[in-house]
Amino acid sequence: MTRLIKILSLGLVLLLGAGLAFAGDDNGLTEKYTLWIGGHYTDFNDYAKKAGEYNLGNDEFLPEFKLNYFSRSDRGIFRLDGHYYDDKNINAEIRTTISDVFKGKFMYRSLIKQASQNLLTEIEAREYFESTGVAGGKMLTHEILDPGADYNTHRQEILGQVSLLLSRKNNVRMIAAHRTILTTGSEQKISSNHCFSCHLTSQTAEVDKRKHQFEAGVDAETGKFDIGYRFGYRYFEPEATDASTYYDPAKHPLSGGAAAEFSSRVIYHDSTMAFSTYPTTEKTSHKVRVKGDVGKGRFSGAAGYSRAENKNTSLTTDAWSGSLNYTVPLNPKTRLVAKFAATRLSADDPFIDLPTWRDGATDGNEYNFDYTRYSALDRRTGKLTAELITRLNKKMTLSVLAGYDRVERYDYPLPDDGTETSKLIGQAKLRIRKGLKYSSTVKYRFESISDPYVSARGMFEESGHDVLTPLVPTSTWIFYFQREDLRYQDITTQPTQVHQFEWRSNYRPNNKVVVNLGVKGKYDKNGDLDSLDVEHFSLAPNLNFNLIPDQRWALTAGYAYNYDKSRLPVTVALFDG
Amino acid sequence: MLGFNRRNWRGMLAANGVLILGLILIGTGMVGAAVTNDVCADCHEELCEEFHKTPHGTYFSTNSQLAEASCESCHGSALAHIESGAPEDIVNPARQDQFGGEELCLSCHTGHQFDDWAFSAHNAADVTCSDCHTVHAVDGAVVSQSTPDLCYSCHSDVRAAANMPSHHPIAEGKMECQDCHGLHGAPARFVMEDTGRELCLSCHTEKEGPFVYEHAPVEEDCMICHTPHGSVANNLLVQNQPSLCLSCHPMHFHATAMSVDGDFDTPQAPERAGSSTPDSFERGMLTNCSQCHIEIHGSDLPSQEISTGGNALTR
Repeated sequence: MTRLIKILSLGLVLLLGAGLAFAGDDNGLTEKYTLWIGGHYTDFNDYAKKAGEYNLGNDEFLPEFKLNYFSRSDRGIFRLDGHYYDDKNINAEIRTTISDVFKGKFMYRSLIKQASQNLLTEIEAREYFESTGVAGGKMLTHEILDPGADYNTHRQEILGQVSLLLSRKNNVRMIAAHRTILTTGSEQKISSNHCFSCHLTSQTAEVDKRKHQFEAGVDAETGKFDIGYRFGYRYFEPEATDASTYYDPAKHPLSGGAAAEFSSRVIYHDSTMAFSTYPTTEKTSHKVRVKGDVGKGRFSGAAGYSRAENKNTSLTTDAWSGSLNYTVPLNPKTRLVAKFAATRLSADDPFIDLPTWRDGATDGNEYNFDYTRYSALDRRTGKLTAELITRLNKKMTLSVLAGYDRVERYDYPLPDDGTETSKLIGQAKLRIRKGLKYSSTVKYRFESISDPYVSARGMFEESGHDVLTPLVPTSTWIFYFQREDLRYQDITTQPTQVHQFEWRSNYRPNNKVVVNLGVKGKYDKNGDLDSLDVEHFSLAPNLNFNLIPDQRWALTAGYAYNYDKSRLPVTVALFDG
Repeated sequence: MLGFNRRNWRGMLAANGVLILGLILIGTGMVGAAVTNDVCADCHEELCEEFHKTPHGTYFSTNSQLAEASCESCHGSALAHIESGAPEDIVNPARQDQFGGEELCLSCHTGHQFDDWAFSAHNAADVTCSDCHTVHAVDGAVVSQSTPDLCYSCHSDVRAAANMPSHHPIAEGKMECQDCHGLHGAPARFVMEDTGRELCLSCHTEKEGPFVYEHAPVEEDCMICHTPHGSVANNLLVQNQPSLCLSCHPMHFHATAMSVDGDFDTPQAPERAGSSTPDSFERGMLTNCSQCHIEIHGSDLPSQEISTGGNALTR
């Protein structure tokens, strides 16, 4: 952090020096700067952190500064914008453009994010049998180890990017970019014991997450085609010490006995272990792009490959993607836009090796829970749209779009027995434009979706006690996992039909005034479920007024209203075990 | 492959310091001359006098290949306009549209970010370059307003959403629309693959995994649970817990258990004794699912109970 401050300070000192250098040269030089010195006072009553999520959260007066510096000479442009709000909220950006040869940008921005402490007060109960008046063995309990903790994180983002013209012949340009996001602070972590009581323990954990990302590539024009290549690299590492917790010994919640029987029901117990950890991950990508003219039309295409790896577990996912866009004028007033994109995602499938349930049980009724985790990510997707846009007359433009999306999931919900979702899209849009003063757009879009994404086997449809046989012959108990076999009903919040409507108008009586008026509406429904229909409805009218006297001033006033209503399934408990 | 430690981190900060220095040193070397079109200046005097101060003017003056560039380079032949004086007799980029307008600007602006402009939603909606950009601005501004206000002038519903209780820090000036949206049709910078969830993961990388234990909708689409611009529910969720979770998952049957009305003891851990009411199980199990299922985006660590196969995302 100290190093960061030093580097930023050095940049500021050098910048001031640069400002003096600019001031000493008046040959075609334009120089402007604004220094804004002020302050702000924050007052919180009954402070809930959600209301001040991005605020320091203190009742205090703080100084505030803004600096804007702009310099232009006959060769280039240099500008700096900075804003100091408080020591956890700072923005700074430097941009330089030298002719068409060099473009550079450096940016730093930071913010604080507050998080309330969950005091877990509702986690406190013990089972009670009204018929016998006896307390039972199911218990919910909690423990707050750091009740006065103040949780927040400080996010700092540093970005640098440059673009350099290497050769005017073929316009060869190199780009390089880097971004680091550093998140530090503290957060609440809650561990859960699940044996002789359901016991939650809250503790304070350090946050130190670091993400580094690079992008480098080259673009070139080769006569008929423009081509480009990008290499991407992303690395995430958690630097904080892992939080750990003690997991209770497994035993009967009332008598404390039957330790062997209970310990066979859990994967670990009577030990201190890490929990809620972030893995170190790495991702690399390669992407090539090409664009150019074919016949009377223009096309762009891209192909990419990326691999993400969890460095802790060595699990990987691979992604291949390709896209092709083509637009061609059918006549001077009509053009066709066609787009195609496809992806293939593949993930490793680890084998989950678990202890044998009731290992060594005297009745011999053991159960093996080992399985291979097949990834829900494994899939192939394809999208195809064709849009015909035609100028009906001087004032009106009509576009009609048809599209088809498809998702093939290979291993979801069951291995080698995936699901397929198809979507048909239709859209019509009419735009009316009268010079620069008035424009209006009305749009309707319809989507018909077959087999949308579902929570597979997410719901019970019938009681289990009448149809299931106890696993242990000497017992009448139905075990939880036996009931899972009865959970066959798919459930979803995703629609099978979508209707969208939008009207938007824009009135610009002159260059200084803009008035927008519009409304958006959406209704979607899934009537294919056995149990009930899913419905969503939203309506969002809005009115905006923009007054822009000159480029330094802008007054905006508006009113936007948003109405949302959803009708969704809510599953209920099934207690027949 | 490549790995990072604190030394690398410092190295990158130092690299950015060098970048700052580079930007400044390069900036201090700016000197040169400007060119205008005298015929146009007879009528558009102020515009022409100031033109060399615009980004375009600066660019033309230093690129030898564009030494002859003039007003006509963008506005086409001015002969008819000079004779008639009518605005209709000269090309006005602001009046152009998708059937030809983009050719004017994109004939020079050939960068990667414009590759897909011809196929973009903005272009199809007849949004032209000058709807957002101020070509003749002399103070270096290339857009008529700064974002997000510029974007909100058309996308007013997003302004409303972005001011809801849970929102990305756009109003606080810590995010810009173009951090996520490729305004000219191309993907946003630092998006490494053309998949739906990659855009979110490019910042929220810790949720990418791949994890040993997955939550299927995380692999499917972040928007099943979240809405990007703003929400009245916590954490940009489409609705609050537990309703959101219970739309897909069965309720814990413990929620139906009656609990002790008053103080209770806990035989195996006396210090955990507490007090409850008959509906405390209902309250405990139906308030906040993620206070137990803390790793809702996925985890490498098995949950405690064997019967879940370790996949309850509680650790």
